[in-house]
Amino acid sequence: MKFFQKTKKEVNKHQKALSELIRVVGEERILSAIEDRICYSYDATRQKVLPDIVVRPADTNDVSNTLKIASKYKVPIYARGAGSGLTGGAVPLMGGIVFDLKNMNRIIEISPDDFTATVEPGVVTKELQDEVAKFDLFYPPDPSSAAFSTIGGNVAECAGGITGLKYGVTRDYILSLEIVLPDGSVINTGGKALRSTTGYDLTRLFTGSEGTLGVFTKITVKLIPKPEKILTVAAYFSERDDAVDAADLIIDNNILPRTLEFLDQMTINAVRGYTGADIGEDVKALLLIDIDGTEGSISHEVPIIENACRESNAFRTKVAETAEERDAIWATRRSISPALYNIAPHKINEDICVPRSKIKEMLQRVDRIKTDQPIYIANFGHIGDGNIHVNTMYSDDPGQEELAESIVNKVMKEVVKLGGSISGEHGIGNKKSQFMELEIPSHEYEIMKKFKSYFDPKGIMNPGKMFIR
Amino acid sequence: MTTDWKEEVSKCSKCGKCQTVCPVFLETGDESSVSRGKISLAEALRDKQIVYTERLREHVYSCKKCMRCRKVCPSDVDYEVIISALLRGVADEMGIPLMPKIIFRYMLPRRILFDLMLKVGSKIQRFIPGKRRGQMRHLPLLFMGKRWIPTLAKKTALKKFSTTRKLKNPKMRVGLFTGCLINYIYVDIAEAVVDVLNRMNIEVVIPQGQLCCGTPSSTMGDHKSSKKLAEVNREVFESHNLDAIVSACATCTKSIKMDYLRTLGPSWQQMSDKIYDISEFIEKYCGNDYKAKPIDEKVTYHDPCHLMWVRGITEEPRDVLKKSSDFVDMDMAGSCCGGGGIFTIIHYDLTLKMLERKVNSIERSGADTVATNCPGCIMQIADGFAGKDSKVKTTHSIQILQKAMVNGGVDNSDTS
Ligand SMILES: Cc1cc2nc3c(=O)[nH]c(=O)nc-3n(C[C@H](O)[C@H](O)[C@H](O)COP(=O)(O)OP(=O)(O)OC[C@H]3O[C@@H](n4cnc5c(N)ncnc54)[C@H](O)[C@@H]3O)c2cc1C
Ligand code: SF4
Ligand code: SF4
Repeated sequence: MKFFQKTKKEVNKHQKALSELIRVVGEERILSAIEDRICYSYDATRQKVLPDIVVRPADTNDVSNTLKIASKYKVPIYARGAGSGLTGGAVPLMGGIVFDLKNMNRIIEISPDDFTATVEPGVVTKELQDEVAKFDLFYPPDPSSAAFSTIGGNVAECAGGITGLKYGVTRDYILSLEIVLPDGSVINTGGKALRSTTGYDLTRLFTGSEGTLGVFTKITVKLIPKPEKILTVAAYFSERDDAVDAADLIIDNNILPRTLEFLDQMTINAVRGYTGADIGEDVKALLLIDIDGTEGSISHEVPIIENACRESNAFRTKVAETAEERDAIWATRRSISPALYNIAPHKINEDICVPRSKIKEMLQRVDRIKTDQPIYIANFGHIGDGNIHVNTMYSDDPGQEELAESIVNKVMKEVVKLGGSISGEHGIGNKKSQFMELEIPSHEYEIMKKFKSYFDPKGIMNPGKMFIR
Repeated sequence: MTTDWKEEVSKCSKCGKCQTVCPVFLETGDESSVSRGKISLAEALRDKQIVYTERLREHVYSCKKCMRCRKVCPSDVDYEVIISALLRGVADEMGIPLMPKIIFRYMLPRRILFDLMLKVGSKIQRFIPGKRRGQMRHLPLLFMGKRWIPTLAKKTALKKFSTTRKLKNPKMRVGLFTGCLINYIYVDIAEAVVDVLNRMNIEVVIPQGQLCCGTPSSTMGDHKSSKKLAEVNREVFESHNLDAIVSACATCTKSIKMDYLRTLGPSWQQMSDKIYDISEFIEKYCGNDYKAKPIDEKVTYHDPCHLMWVRGITEEPRDVLKKSSDFVDMDMAGSCCGGGGIFTIIHYDLTLKMLERKVNSIERSGADTVATNCPGCIMQIADGFAGKDSKVKTTHSIQILQKAMVNGGVDNSDTS
């Protein structure tokens, strides 16, 4: 755990802010013992920096009051959901206040007539999904972390997930945001209407803003009818390129599967070694496909998908109908993460995204970068969107970390050359800020910084993230 | 052991998945409640960035040691090693509160002293008014707290069954590990175990001299006492030539089957392999050939943490209940009842919240009776219903089976 070194003046200001917070927001909403602050020092990147204060607001009013005080004393402040972010978004790099929003977790309204739901930011994604499902409604964005990540965190990172190809990502479902700006003022963007062309689209600007512009306190999402049925197809290939071709061919046949996931050979080997899953040694690539819709549309699509796979040289396809069969197939996907840690203790997971036509080329370039260097790279992910997770696995041996970093560096450059994005869904945080300017031209970069300083002139919102100072 | 946990904490990838199952986090939403937070505290201790303090003790004690987190952890972190080290650290550095220390160090390892103490307790108890549905408010030394707990038995299970009921041609000879709650309070559970197994022509020995399994003391970080207890229990059980050892307490089973492997080392493996939860044993050895006439009662089942999450046993108790009653499953059968040792005392408010969830799902199931395989859960859940004046009864699944066997007039014991 790191301690951010503060000047005497800063320590002074923090002290004042703390006593004012205790007075205004209330002692019971504040944690200041080191044994508590340690528990809010990290996120899923494993970086740890000790915050000075943790505030656990109960409502918009608490949020506004806290931000006013933070602003007054210029104390850095970091919104935090579940701390499952993969780019360091919630880590208090420069000390200050961690804003734990987990307690603002009410589902305020589900409106089946409007097809909307309004929630507080600390609601766990899966809880929202489950609650709306009771009304036969569907909130599609489905990051693998849905069981613990919060909606607030999802909006701040514009989280994606496995349903992105057909249903899009978080951004596509956010209708309206209540946001508290760093000066404590509250704004409401958008509305419950499903369309609006009035003025600039502030909702979109704030979605994906990673806690650098303001804090969401209420979120209204769009819902759609819940598909009647889901069915899973698994297709096994002996060549990686064939799997990529099959994915293309399925879409060329006018079918947008709910999920189209790809696993490369390294990933498959890891899973087999870890779970003993019954996947033959001859399998070099795997596609896991979910299709949803009505009984009729599914029975129409399954043969087309199977044909497309076979035409692309799949040597086997398997259709799973019952919940148990589907679960058995998806267990493979779920076990990837632990399985990878079984090959090497550390990983750098880059969620690159390239135009669909460039996937094959990208994977080849990754091969060329790795060549025969002593390191493992496992590629898997949302192939339908071109969003591949490139996982560079390394050990504690000397030189391994540096090697992994240099590989990642090169991969990022190739991504941008192919017209891709360095971050498909995990955001920038501090982990990827060094790569921002690879993708974003300098003029645009400056425009973004101007937005930032307009909303946050004192620079207190999540400093150290997104932009390199 | 001491180096172990320091390596183990490094395995945590801080993914946050443990939040999805931790019953304490579910109530508090506070990161210090969940294993990820506690692991970070352990890391800070390892790196000498903090020392043991009262606040740290509170956080360490806020864990129910239910091991749900361990079960779902994608990085395979052995959280039990970490929390045990923290508990031991708290005990070593800050000491154990005086009263528990006296009990753990001096009373528990000496059966006679402990008996005496509780006897005095049971006398006093009779003077306290306010008996409600068999539960009564009182403060025994081991289970301090503002709770309804049942009256102490006049005769302990060990005394009651000090002589073994001999069978002529028994199919097997098993030993019963009673555990404190069954020995002192729920003697009728021990009675049901003996009766049911005898009816299945299995001889049941209750080895005299057995002591507490050691969980209460290890939960307080008093590993010295736990070790002492484990050693005595080993001697007692190894001196009988038993085909198996059964227990009707989920926590005791976990302790003697799994924790002893750590306390006593690999030499315990052979014994450990022979230890079973009572339903697990019955389904494994008599599953096909016992008959019972299901009782006319709607019964549901609560999964004790230490059976479901530590040992993965969920089917066997249900199988037993399906054969002996009108069984209905409840939703959230695996949610924690909130009971359990020091946690209940230090975090009483959280205990109540968990209990309320449990009581509600039991009521939603429409059952007349809730059965479970742990006397700790029975005490806790009964406490929840006693406060509510509800008609739902709380019992052990073996007692349901006993009724069903009596009901069916089944007796295959061979005593002639
Ligand atoms: C095992 C695992 C699997 C994952 N799978 C996916 C996946 O499939 N797809 C995907 O996209 N991501 C995935 N993630 C990443 C992560 O879960 C997402 O980024 C998620 O959106 C983070 O939510 P959180 O609540 O944990 O936010 P945190 O990590 O706590 O915070 C993330 C960012 O959001 C900001 N923030 C949080 N709440 C608010 C608020 N109310 N107002 C303003 N800013 C706020 C924080 O300041 C921070 O910058 C995964 C992570 C893990 C550990
Ligand atoms: S689930 Fe395991 S790896 Fe993930 S945070 Fe919890 S303990 Fe750490
Ligand atoms: S053992 Fe149970 S109570 Fe303790 S951290 Fe794990 S899940 Fe939570």
